[in-house]
Amino acid sequence: MSRHAAFRLGLAPALVVLALITIAPAIYLVLTSLTPLNLTLPDTAWDFSAPLDNYRDLLDDPRFSRSVWVQVQLSVATVVLQLAMGLGIALLLNADTPIRRFARSGFLIPMVLPPIVVGIVWRIMYAVDISPFHRLMDWVGLPIGSLITNPDTALWAIVLAESWEWFPFTMLMALAALQMVPAAPIEAARIDGASEWQTFRYVVFPFIQQTLLVAGIFRLIDSIKAFPLIFVLTDGGPGDVTEVTNYYAYRQAFTFSLWGYGSAIATLMVIGIFVLSWAIDRLTRAADTDAG
Amino acid sequence: MPADASSRARRKARNRLRLGDGATLVLLALVLFPFLWLVQMSFRPNADILGYELAFSPTLAHYRALWTGAFPGSFVNSLITSLVSTALALLIGVPAAFSLSRGGFRSSRRIALWILATRMAPPIAFTIPFFLAYRFLGLSDTRTGLILVYLTFNLALVIWMMKPYFDSVPRELEEAALIDGCGIWSAFLRVTLPLSAPGLAATAVICFILSWNDFFYALVLTRTQASTAPVAIVNFIQYTGWEWGRIAAAGTLVMLPVVAFSILVRNYLVRGLAAGGVKE
Repeated sequence: MSRHAAFRLGLAPALVVLALITIAPAIYLVLTSLTPLNLTLPDTAWDFSAPLDNYRDLLDDPRFSRSVWVQVQLSVATVVLQLAMGLGIALLLNADTPIRRFARSGFLIPMVLPPIVVGIVWRIMYAVDISPFHRLMDWVGLPIGSLITNPDTALWAIVLAESWEWFPFTMLMALAALQMVPAAPIEAARIDGASEWQTFRYVVFPFIQQTLLVAGIFRLIDSIKAFPLIFVLTDGGPGDVTEVTNYYAYRQAFTFSLWGYGSAIATLMVIGIFVLSWAIDRLTRAADTDAG
Repeated sequence: MPADASSRARRKARNRLRLGDGATLVLLALVLFPFLWLVQMSFRPNADILGYELAFSPTLAHYRALWTGAFPGSFVNSLITSLVSTALALLIGVPAAFSLSRGGFRSSRRIALWILATRMAPPIAFTIPFFLAYRFLGLSDTRTGLILVYLTFNLALVIWMMKPYFDSVPRELEEAALIDGCGIWSAFLRVTLPLSAPGLAATAVICFILSWNDFFYALVLTRTQASTAPVAIVNFIQYTGWEWGRIAAAGTLVMLPVVAFSILVRNYLVRGLAAGGVKE
């Protein structure tokens, strides 16, 4: 057996399995999105008589467009908050003392918790009758109502929980980038009398901005998949103020049995995410050519 | 004078470090507070569940109550699906990663993009077709069905994490084994794989954590027989309402293995979770 054949034999099982579990479902999804499939109506399977109906309906479905807007708000707010928290804490941890080393592991915890546990943690924080936070507000004389049942604050309650869950990701990436910054230019800036802020802004930041950008895009793409937190905290409500596109697709398919319609939403999401991924690829490659 | 100035500068630097250490501890306590609150709730007796005094007599009653319900079964399901899916992903993915590293395939850039796309795709795009197909294949509410779905992210992750490890092992080491009359795969097993053991262990742990933490797939694809621990928590919330002590205990049990594991593999976490985005 030639060596090349041996390598092909090593690669083949993975490619076959990957094709079976990723490409086949993708094709099935797109095909389903072209039918009015509803599991309570047997005739609707494989009915391709009006293939683009689902997509046409999506164009003037106000609940769909609202879900996209909710998604944009959630994504932008959480990514900005996570970058700010992550970078801030990374700067604090970027000193080599036993306490900071210990804290690097401690700050990691929110990210690795099972998402359902994060949901429960915040459900407790937002439950008026048992939350220590609400009790504190009562005690200082500023009692506030439930944040997750109030349409004005529900989305921001989710933003806070989601940012808490995922800031460790941007923190870890920022910390890794900070530790790669060479010491010499920082020393030089200090000798030249640069202030702390100037040193950060003009010497350190250029070294880490690419990593921050990549971290931000990763979080942006993952924020589109937000599900467990919304499921546990608000179930998309009150009304539909926290119903992101992902949640809307889930509801259409799994609650209302409108599989064709749900598939059309999911197909659009995949397209949207691939456009974003393409952007990542371009950006990281641009960075490579810059560097070398 | 200069000696005095430098000692003052050193003292200033030391004070800054101490100040930073203090700020770090305060911030850490603040950030972890919601999480620690859950853990302490799981030990509070029911009569005192809403209490906030630090001194209370801890009880294991909530944990004991969990032991008698459907929860232990779901814990076993979580364990089996996560372990088997991780093992399968390694079994299929590791040879593929090695082949991609050494084979010089012209299509390797396209395969890399495909794997990145798998990592990025939203789970809802998989759940709908998997749910529909499983109804015909008889895989609804089975552990086999879940194991298969978990491969969608585990397999891509294994290939993505292991290829750079194999890239960094010098080929000359394998060549030596080849001269001794080994085939390429036995050279791989004897030389390259042992050298990549730390990376292999970290990859396995990350696969396990991702499978263990899954909620969405298990919620949609299982009902009772194969439901995993995260879904079991939601199920008993739906049956018995928000019984805080028991929920806190279940949450604490579910998170225990992942928190322990992930502190062990902290340094590898970024690479695994950001597969594709972090440059070596």
